[in-house]
Amino acid sequence: MKRYPPQRPLKFLRWFCREDYLEEIEGDLVEVFEKQSVVSLRRARRVFTWSVLRYFRPRFMKTFRSLYPTNVMSILRHNLLITLRSFARHKSSFLINLTGLSTGLACVLLIYLWVNDELQVDQFHENKARIYKVLENRIQADRIWTSETSSGPTADALAADMPEVEYAVTTTRNDVHTLSVDEHPLKATGRYAGKDYFNVFTFTLLHGRRNELLKEKNNMVVSESLARKLFNRADETVLGKIVEMDHARQYTVSGIFRDLPYQATEKADFIRSFEEFRADHPDWVSTWFSTGAATYVMLKEGTDVNALNAKIAGFVKQKTNGEVTHRTMFLKLYTDKYLHGQFENGVESGGRITYVKLFSVIATFILIIACINFMNLSTARASRRLKEIGIKKAIGAKRNTLVWQHLGESMLLSLISMVIALGLVIVLLPYFNILTEKQLTLPVTLAFAERVFGVVIFTGLLAGSYPALYLSGFNPAAILKGKLTSALGELWVRQGLVVFQFTCSVVFIVAVIVVYRQTEYIQSRSLGYTKDNMIVFEREGNAAETTDLESFLAAVRDVPGVHNASSIAHSLTGHNSGTSGVVWEGKDPNDRTEFENVAVSYDMLETLGIQIVDGRSFAREFPSDTAHIIFNEAAIAFMGLKDPIGKVIKLWGEDMEIVGVAKNFHFESLHENVRPLFFRINPENTGRIMVKIEPGQEQATIRRLEKLYETYNPGFIFDFRFLDDDYQSQYRAEQRVAVLSRYFAGLAILISCLGLFGLTAFTLERREKEIGIRKVLGSGELRIVLLLSRDFTKMVLLSIALALPLSYFLTSSWLKTFAFRIDLSAAYFLLAGVIALAITWITVGAQALRAARLNPAQALKRE
Amino acid sequence: MSNQSLGEFEELVLLMVAALHDEAYGVSILENLEGKLGKKLNISAVHVALKRLEDKGFVKSRFGGITNDRGGRRKKFYVITALGKRMLDDQYALRTAIYQQIPKISFG
Repeated sequence: MKRYPPQRPLKFLRWFCREDYLEEIEGDLVEVFEKQSVVSLRRARRVFTWSVLRYFRPRFMKTFRSLYPTNVMSILRHNLLITLRSFARHKSSFLINLTGLSTGLACVLLIYLWVNDELQVDQFHENKARIYKVLENRIQADRIWTSETSSGPTADALAADMPEVEYAVTTTRNDVHTLSVDEHPLKATGRYAGKDYFNVFTFTLLHGRRNELLKEKNNMVVSESLARKLFNRADETVLGKIVEMDHARQYTVSGIFRDLPYQATEKADFIRSFEEFRADHPDWVSTWFSTGAATYVMLKEGTDVNALNAKIAGFVKQKTNGEVTHRTMFLKLYTDKYLHGQFENGVESGGRITYVKLFSVIATFILIIACINFMNLSTARASRRLKEIGIKKAIGAKRNTLVWQHLGESMLLSLISMVIALGLVIVLLPYFNILTEKQLTLPVTLAFAERVFGVVIFTGLLAGSYPALYLSGFNPAAILKGKLTSALGELWVRQGLVVFQFTCSVVFIVAVIVVYRQTEYIQSRSLGYTKDNMIVFEREGNAAETTDLESFLAAVRDVPGVHNASSIAHSLTGHNSGTSGVVWEGKDPNDRTEFENVAVSYDMLETLGIQIVDGRSFAREFPSDTAHIIFNEAAIAFMGLKDPIGKVIKLWGEDMEIVGVAKNFHFESLHENVRPLFFRINPENTGRIMVKIEPGQEQATIRRLEKLYETYNPGFIFDFRFLDDDYQSQYRAEQRVAVLSRYFAGLAILISCLGLFGLTAFTLERREKEIGIRKVLGSGELRIVLLLSRDFTKMVLLSIALALPLSYFLTSSWLKTFAFRIDLSAAYFLLAGVIALAITWITVGAQALRAARLNPAQALKRE
Repeated sequence: MSNQSLGEFEELVLLMVAALHDEAYGVSILENLEGKLGKKLNISAVHVALKRLEDKGFVKSRFGGITNDRGGRRKKFYVITALGKRMLDDQYALRTAIYQQIPKISFG
């Protein structure tokens, strides 16, 4: 029996041993082994292995550098030439690859810019790691609601009681006001802020003393652009100048700050001192029982925020002597709020970060789809380059030389694509900015260039590594004999990649359909009030006087083209102000569920077209309507009242009689269910005027309204919005997703189709003779087309089967974020499948038909 | 001739190459040495010594013909060179000269 030495040590020896010694050493080793193996095979093997290891020393090792000095430059030049020639020769696959990769890369670049920008939001504040916003978890009957507002005294109390807090400031919401210097009114947005505001947040102060900006009650700090608008300049001469607000109050400019970068979430044209607000609302600012202010703290260096959160959890309870138990205070990193600002039942549940992740994934997938085209076309067309590879190998090219040649080819392609992609990005960026509401630019920095280069390398490797390894692995003898039969495994890989591409495409199609249907549903769902042809503007000037409001509204109603008009405190586009101060018979004393509080003037319900399902609306004929209240159906259901009309409840301790029940309407976005709400007549607190105008002559009516406004409110600007626009802005994120997903899906499908097109063209070329013979033997065109489309159809059907559960999962989890949503019907998935199939058939069928129509003699005579 | 030194094992191998004249290759040297020394050696030690001797010019080598033995690998035969022979002679002379200086007393 012939005994063989162990193979692995032998291979190892062959790998490291210098060639001029190898034969002798190997021979002697084998001879010793053979002699010893007669005695004991195991021992012989052990000795053999041990001996091999003993040869592993410098004297016997080969130099791993190539024996012959290679001329790197000439190889490179040769490879470049071959690459360019192959591009020129196979124009269609070159163009398909180029189109696919450059659009894919353009997507990646755009999304990179967008994601990068999202991550930059609010990051410009120098103390960003120490700035926190005070949030509160409030226990409601059905959920925990995380509120961004806190009580008026929060900031001062935190600063006084917690040594960890360096600064604490209170701010109010932004309000729009009319500012004027020498009778040139303009509208600007601003808010009140505590005195340390400028120490906490980073503002570039152009003029003024940082510590004295909000010292006096009538101080105002203005932005550079506002200063220019008011005074035509922004230098220190502006300091100390007087600005009049709403033609009533006067302020002294104490500082000018540079306009905030657009990546700031909280912008303001001017900042006023919170001390003035405190003087105006002394009760509100000192009570722990109502909320509405925003509180920010800056912690001292090295503070453990978790420990502090544990300390302040019961702060509100402690400050109210145990009376308020449902509010748990905690700190949230200010810079985190933008991306991770969503809470569900008191637990963080994402926010914009979801879209950041989503789009990053989409960009990667589009790039992969484009890379797959390259892989498939290169391996499919391998037969064309076989001779080149065979000859190179035969005359001594190493495998890794060939690998590098093909990788170089894909790198070069990826580089060219990147150049085109950069061009595309430059062209598309303005449109992309409109779509995303950003001000993105291509950064001209080394870091960005490095990253772009990194992406080029990555794409080159991703697209090129498989073809390079595949092509360089052929046996040269077999190639040159023309014996290459494509392995089954390779076919599997290619088909698998196509299936992957189409799975992505089908998922995209389903997503587009669902997002489109849902946004359409949002647009068309009856909200319970009419938002169309509704004009909204702030109540100010003379109309701000409660005594004059009624006469102003009456004058508005008399304007031709106006249907109805009234005033309201609520924006109807989200939660505005709530209260837990509603008490009814049988109420659980611990219940702190907030009712939405809507103060209105007479006629508001009629103007909005809100239906009354029981009882009546407010009417001037009933003078005691200030003691009357109207609930929505959700509130009645929540309170569990039967026959509510005529019942008396307590609101903030006062008796209110229920006179009507309004049909539920959506005053928050459709992400939320309709929550309890009440209307009460309280014209003083209604800050908005809503005017319903007749459709058809909007422009003329608005002009007439403007004229009325200016005569009634001299010195103020008629600045109106359409309620519909306010409504749409609630769904801006969704609309952006809708539009972007449409583009991305289109791209994914386009790139996949290009790949399919290329593959089909190649297959048909290879089967030209087969088709010719089939035709000669009498096969019809249709049969041939069917035959040719069958493989691709199978692949796409498989993709559809894979994509449907995946897309069902993805779309249904997206829809879950809406309280009101469309049902996922089978039709969407069916439609997506049909679209994918139709696209495949068009792509494949057109080419197949052309091939089938070819004169068989043409195909057969060529040899 | 400072670099022309000869280690103990090298000297043994060189002697064996000379002794096996024209039949000296790795395995034959190994086996003969094992027989004489009465202990097991590793083939790699022999190869190291041979390569050193070849570098120093004491032996030269040539490949034998292809046979069916050893999986078709050729043997490499070593013969001693004139320089190697002189080296052995010098060593032998040196040792003999010193040996003869040993006084004739009993070491019993």
